[in-house]
Amino acid sequence: MPSLRLPFSISSLCASAVAVLLVAYIGVIAVVMTYAALTVEFSQSVRNDEAAVAALESAYLADVARLTSTDYAAVGYAKPRATTFIRAQSSTALR
Amino acid sequence: MRAQFRSRIRAILLFVVLVAVLILVRLYFVQIVDGDDYALKADRQFSSGGSGLFDRGAIDFTRKDGTPIHAATLATGFLAAINPQILTDPETAYRAIRAAASSSPVLSRDAFLAAAEKKAQVYIEVAHRLSDEHGKALAAQNIPGVQVLRERWRYYPGASLAAQTIGIVSYGSGDVLVGQTGLEAAYDGALSRSGDALYKNFFAELFSNVGNLLVDAKDAREGDVVTTIEPEVQTRLENDLAKLTKRYASKESGGIIMDPATGAILALASYPSYDGNNRQDVAPSLLGNPLVEHVHEFGSIMKPLTMAAGLDAGVITPETTYNDTGCITVNTARICNWDGKPRGVIAMPEILLQSLNVGASWIATKLGQDAFREYFTALFGTKTGIDLPNEGRSLLSNLSKPQQVGYDTAAFGQGIAMTPMQMVRALGALANGGMMAEPHLVRAVRLNSGIERSIDWSRTTPVFSAAAVRETATMMTALMDQKLEGGKAMIPTMSVAVKTGTAQLTDGRGGYHTDRFFHSFVGFFPSYSPRFVILLYTNDPQGVEYASETLDTTFLDLVHFLIDYYQVPPDRGLATSTSSG
Repeated sequence: MPSLRLPFSISSLCASAVAVLLVAYIGVIAVVMTYAALTVEFSQSVRNDEAAVAALESAYLADVARLTSTDYAAVGYAKPRATTFIRAQSSTALR
Repeated sequence: MRAQFRSRIRAILLFVVLVAVLILVRLYFVQIVDGDDYALKADRQFSSGGSGLFDRGAIDFTRKDGTPIHAATLATGFLAAINPQILTDPETAYRAIRAAASSSPVLSRDAFLAAAEKKAQVYIEVAHRLSDEHGKALAAQNIPGVQVLRERWRYYPGASLAAQTIGIVSYGSGDVLVGQTGLEAAYDGALSRSGDALYKNFFAELFSNVGNLLVDAKDAREGDVVTTIEPEVQTRLENDLAKLTKRYASKESGGIIMDPATGAILALASYPSYDGNNRQDVAPSLLGNPLVEHVHEFGSIMKPLTMAAGLDAGVITPETTYNDTGCITVNTARICNWDGKPRGVIAMPEILLQSLNVGASWIATKLGQDAFREYFTALFGTKTGIDLPNEGRSLLSNLSKPQQVGYDTAAFGQGIAMTPMQMVRALGALANGGMMAEPHLVRAVRLNSGIERSIDWSRTTPVFSAAAVRETATMMTALMDQKLEGGKAMIPTMSVAVKTGTAQLTDGRGGYHTDRFFHSFVGFFPSYSPRFVILLYTNDPQGVEYASETLDTTFLDLVHFLIDYYQVPPDRGLATSTSSG
């Protein structure tokens, strides 16, 4: 009966497996931490951008309100004496 | 050799068993003995990124070109807190915080110093809503015992724009900010956030709950609310109502602009209102929405509905005549025209053209109580289902009684009451081929995934025939062209259907004031294919009796604005028409 001998040491196999798992574990931790950091950073960036957009929208709506409440007579514009309604003309001469 | 191999195998097995036992023991301690502590710690880690920071979906206006403009969003800044155990120089700290919070809520000096004396505490918030710039500048000073932390809060870019419709968030009974009024309350389920949306621990989700990561119920619920409100139209309406209310010292004024075909509300406003960003001194009564919560007797703008009912039922035609005596007596009550004068034998269109109460009562009598009740219950008997909280119910009890006077007065808008929203829905039927659409403010919820989930508002309620409403619209258009401002209001290139209403206000003792009125105005255009229906009212205006004197200017301004803004093409007119400016 021939002796059963593996071509490698069992202990070295276990050690290699442990080493691979350790490296993978550290890698996963690094990925998770990087992901978490980027998530927080991006989310805050999104919030800051939203706040900036809100400020612009606020300015736009304030401008609309100001224009709407403008008394055009008070700023020098006169009401037209008459308004003429005409049919819309073709925009090109070819039609 | 074989024995040596066996011993090695046994040694490895023993090692594996020992490791397994060790792992089992460790798992026992982790899961059973210290399980609660670890669970708590895990929870904190999982949610700490977002905890304490307010998060909520946005509410958007929609411009005419489809561009969303935030009506409610989040502002980001900082809050300042102190740790009294570390704070050594409260005076210096207060001066620095005060300077940073120049336009933000901050404790008074006395309150701050009192807080600094509470040495048993380690965290007291002393200033909120610091701007990014000021917050970072304060943090850079590194004052011992002063913490500068991120903060988010609800912000309304339009301030008072559509405030009563958008609503507010507040703490209410719990310690979580929730929508209390308006769309904030009606769509709280879509707007509220669980707090981890942007800070989700992907790996924790992956390993703990794969199902939720792929298909999460809240992903199908949470999102931003997209309204049908057009910000420039809303601004115009609010501006006009403010001018109107101030000019006539009215108690309040309101208005609704709606697309009668779809029920989409483009503008909805009442005056007075409040600033959503500054609610310090707002009367609680202003926080609701009077356009859906309060009921009024609208007066003569009810007459077109009475006319359409009579035409639809076939009891009258536009050519039908009656003898107008100026006043009639019904169940001992006396009903008169607005001027008390008789008109003799006249045709139906004159009832709307001259706003004759006796004529409207005559149609009600011709209809009969059962038919009249059936039409008006279809128009006002149910809530509109508008997507706002606390919608009021109409008061139609006079139509449950046998006395004819209740029906005769209802025919010209007295003795029954409804909300402005119910009124615009009913009048919208005249502008939509006899079908009442569902009034609504929100067209879609934009989910966090970016997908827009449209809300189905397509249900319509048939009330009148298309022929009946067309004949009614013709009469209302003649009123605009011939009567309003003596005919000067006519727009040569646009047919506009209108009706004014003046109702006496109730005196609270079962009668009516003779010198206090509720003015209303309805109109839609183009008359025979309307894109807009406008309802306006002003409550208790001073020094003026008729709605044609108070609301015509406001109405015409809105009509001309809408024609220009939406570039509504002419629906009538000659090649060249001129109107005096």
